[in-house]
Amino acid sequence: MSIKAFELVPALERTLLIGDKTWINIECIECCGRNLYVGTNECYIYHFLLEEKTSTSGKLTFIATKQLHKYLGLKKPVNEIKAASALNRLMVLCDCSVNLLNMINLEPVPTGAKIKGVVAFTVNENPVTADPFCVEVCTISMKRKTIQIYAVHEDRVQLIKEVSTPEQPVALAADGYFICLALSTQYIILSYNTGVSQDLFPYNSEEKQPIVKRIGREEFLLAGPGALGMFVTAAGISQRAPVHWSEDVIGAAVCFPYVVALDEEFVTVHSMLDQQQKQTVPFRDGHILQDFEGKLILATSKEVYVLVPLPLENQIQDLLTGRRVEEALVLAKGARRNIPKEKFQGMYRRILQQAGFIQFGKLQFLEAKELFRNGQLDVRELISLYPFLLPSTSTFMRSHPPLHEYADLNQLTQGDQEKITKCKRFLISYLNEIRSADVANGYKEDIDTALLKLYAEANHDSLLDLLVSENSCLLVESAPWLEKHKKYFALGLLYHYNSQNEAALQLWMNIVDGGLEDTTRSDLYEYIIDFLSFCSDHELVWKYADWALQKNEEVGVKIFTRRPLVESQTIGINPDDIINYLHKYRKAVVVYLEHLVFERNIQKEKCHTHLAVLYLDKVLGLHSQSRNGSEELTSARNNLKNLFRHSQLYRVHLLLGRIKDTDLYVERAILHGKLEEHDKALEILVHRLKDFQAAEDYCLWNSDGKDPLCRQKLFHMLLALYLDPAVTSDALVMAGVDLLNNHAVEFDAVRVLRLIPDNWSIQLLSPFLGQAMRKSFHSKCMAEVALGLARSENLIYRYTKVKSRGNAVALSGKKVCQVCRGMFTEPVFLRSPDGALLHTHCATKSSSPSVTVQTYANP
Amino acid sequence: MMKPDVKVVILGDMNVGKTSLLHRYIEKRFQDTVSTVGGAFYLKQWGPYNISIWDTAGREQFHGLGSMYCRGAAAVILTYDVTNRQSLSELEDRFLALTDTAHAECIFAVVGNKADLTDECAIVQTSEVGEEEEVSPSTLHKQVFMEDAIYFYKQIIKYKMLEEKDVPAAEKMCFETSAKTGYNVDLLFETIFEVVVSFVLKKRVNPPQTVVLRHSLKTKRTKSPCCS
Ligand SMILES: Nc1nc2c(ncn2[C@@H]2O[C@H](COP(=O)(O)OP(=O)(O)O)[C@@H](O)[C@H]2O)c(=O)[nH]1
Ligand SMILES: [Mg+2]
Repeated sequence: MSIKAFELVPALERTLLIGDKTWINIECIECCGRNLYVGTNECYIYHFLLEEKTSTSGKLTFIATKQLHKYLGLKKPVNEIKAASALNRLMVLCDCSVNLLNMINLEPVPTGAKIKGVVAFTVNENPVTADPFCVEVCTISMKRKTIQIYAVHEDRVQLIKEVSTPEQPVALAADGYFICLALSTQYIILSYNTGVSQDLFPYNSEEKQPIVKRIGREEFLLAGPGALGMFVTAAGISQRAPVHWSEDVIGAAVCFPYVVALDEEFVTVHSMLDQQQKQTVPFRDGHILQDFEGKLILATSKEVYVLVPLPLENQIQDLLTGRRVEEALVLAKGARRNIPKEKFQGMYRRILQQAGFIQFGKLQFLEAKELFRNGQLDVRELISLYPFLLPSTSTFMRSHPPLHEYADLNQLTQGDQEKITKCKRFLISYLNEIRSADVANGYKEDIDTALLKLYAEANHDSLLDLLVSENSCLLVESAPWLEKHKKYFALGLLYHYNSQNEAALQLWMNIVDGGLEDTTRSDLYEYIIDFLSFCSDHELVWKYADWALQKNEEVGVKIFTRRPLVESQTIGINPDDIINYLHKYRKAVVVYLEHLVFERNIQKEKCHTHLAVLYLDKVLGLHSQSRNGSEELTSARNNLKNLFRHSQLYRVHLLLGRIKDTDLYVERAILHGKLEEHDKALEILVHRLKDFQAAEDYCLWNSDGKDPLCRQKLFHMLLALYLDPAVTSDALVMAGVDLLNNHAVEFDAVRVLRLIPDNWSIQLLSPFLGQAMRKSFHSKCMAEVALGLARSENLIYRYTKVKSRGNAVALSGKKVCQVCRGMFTEPVFLRSPDGALLHTHCATKSSSPSVTVQTYANP
Repeated sequence: MMKPDVKVVILGDMNVGKTSLLHRYIEKRFQDTVSTVGGAFYLKQWGPYNISIWDTAGREQFHGLGSMYCRGAAAVILTYDVTNRQSLSELEDRFLALTDTAHAECIFAVVGNKADLTDECAIVQTSEVGEEEEVSPSTLHKQVFMEDAIYFYKQIIKYKMLEEKDVPAAEKMCFETSAKTGYNVDLLFETIFEVVVSFVLKKRVNPPQTVVLRHSLKTKRTKSPCCS
């Protein structure tokens, strides 16, 4: 757990101070700027200038030059020296009084001002009085259980306050109104302002020397029980966890984020951040450890040293080198307030990145990811660890000094394939996550290309997702890689994404034709058809249409039928060209024509006729093969009949000519029907086919949607055929009777009655007669209703007319036409129901339909 | 340093598992702890609040620090070991008095740890990564029961001279936990945080009913005789 946080550098060698006078001991020290003062047991004060030198090798040394020394003439040791640089004074405790000396020449102030009866004193570094020419000093008085607060000026001192304490004070520190005191059995915080004191914790000062240090605003460090360094605020609470130093600690000081403690054999360094002991420096006969304006000074009774803190960055680097990520991060975070903000951010980011690589090296991917993210790692640093992933064109250089010690993944994992796979999986997930984040800006190509490579290599499904969505994969880098890993389908997608559709198509076709092996899609042929269907490059479509159709006409033709509608109308492929082209594909051309006729509803005679001819050819072909109608034939005939019936555009005569000599009677009947040759059609149905149902249906669909009289005409025609005296047969008669009975309302009953033979019984025709009667009666009733309605309507109009004529309309020379604003020059005028008067010619011009215009003749 | 909004202190004899409980809650793990030296301190973000949690040392040697740790505490968790009757008695004898410095409206929780050693139900391992060690069978004799804890809780209320109706119910504030299996650990801390946070809110709405002394002090100072 060790770290090198401080370096011990000699500041004042034995020869400079003591020489051979071995009886001289250092009693106390003060350091203020470059001035170093030393007080001895012999009642001397020495003044040195302390110069800091850094050698070319970076080694720090101190050179002390003696300025003066002064004997205070008391034969007592100098207990304490404090400088008040603003006053140019030294406050020196010797023989129980604090004397004021000139800082430079060490002469006592002429007034001889001093504080008498002092056991110990401290300077309040955060005084409440803000007078810059005054220093606040707190003393433990020789008077029992008393402390005193003084204001020390250049040449006089002034007692501000005297406070008595519950027990005899032993040590003290001050901040604001607060004085932290070690009493004989406990520590307390005392507000000299209010006199209120608060017990902190018990401590036996007889057993062990108490320590009270102010370490910052309203915070103190105390030696606690069980070798603890306790932190206490002026409010009497602890806001930091204690540090554990040694039992025989003599002195302590804080140099953030460390607590440095001195005992008889060592200087120990403890982190305030994680309570751990971080460094141990052997140091015998230590006697004084104090911090002066951030400078830690350490002294034996003969020599003086400086504990120089190593730059935090170095400490952090050391920790990282030792792979102690946690500690490094804690230290870095703790250092935040000691380093300028901009510098800190850059440094901290780098530390996070380094820490990330350490975790990465341990395969602690979750932690690594978090650190990379927070450290805003240039992702190429990570990618570059993986051989061949960065594009060969990349100009990326790893940052210097390096963030980690690894050459590449192989070195990191020592070739362990399992680990390599894990690392790759991690990179995939990491790249995927940051792809769309800000940090990816500028490196999108590198990221996506790396992802593509990883996917391809790992046979990962997301390869296709990557390629079909927006991506920045570099073509020149990715294509050979995909080829190497036999991802031909994906390669096609890549070409397509880069607008090289032909290259894509050729690859895919090659796969379908078995030239290349890639099983990514089992329906690749359909995929290609799909692709061509939506391909706007017509040249390409034509170029590969043969390939598509030769594989499968019915599927292949979709490249034409599926083309978006808008296209085929204007800039699209001309349907005629397609039909011409499809000539050699008999199945395909039918599918295409069907598509035009039935789905697109194209209104072109040529197409309809063409389709009809093709249908007919097929029927005839099948017909000649199998006499007794196969299923295929039935369906083919149905198609044909359906087209004959529903299309109005084909050339009837042409087709009629083609089937004239065949026995496709139904079809013929339909064609005759199209020509309005109903007699011929019905004749075929009734006499040739003897299919009465078909004849009846014929009448129905031929008159469908037409004038009712048309239907009546057809039914009468049919009836006439049935009752033709020239060809009477029982079957025909029965058909006639059924026709009448089933469709009574379609007939003109009077004409029928004249037509039917007299010998037919009423019984036979009763359904017909009944329905005919009902129809006739119904018609009569309906006519009466209509008549009634018409009459009442007439009545309403007449009423309106009478009403509007009721009043005389005065037409004077002052009245003007509402339309043209002109005078009425003739006696004839119009009056609208709302009372407006108009010229007759204006009324016809005015197109206001709501105005019902009535003509008035002048009486 | 971030100033915490509230302080929670864990008290109890050494080895009852205070450090382990806190470790389990913060790190979601159980591992062998070293005996706590002096005290340790965690910051926990709870919604918008920063809660500081003090783990104290149970050793007699550090006893003197207890009062200071408790100063201004909003909640105190008094912890004992269910397999050790003495550890409950210690709470009453030694630790309760330390809470005199706590906030006047401090809430208390009484927690019997190591329930995995005595109760089947506490052995259920909570979701855990790795660390699939064998759980000790419940061979140890249970020495402290829930009723004892509830009784002690009521003693605390009496000691504080409070009314039962003014403090959270004993049933809510007494727990049996296991730092080892995680049993009830989250429940313990979350319950405390919830109660404590509502307490902070109350405090923020009604600022403390104390008089600010600064002004009166100043006037006094000017009047005080000058000594030279
Ligand atoms: N079986 C079991 N042992 C525990 C549990 N909690 C703590 N321990 C053990 O008890 C001992 C003391 O724990 P520690 O947390 O240091 O106690 P503290 O002195 O109160 O902080 C350690 O050996 C722990 O492993 C628990 O819930 N179940
Ligand atoms: Mg502990």
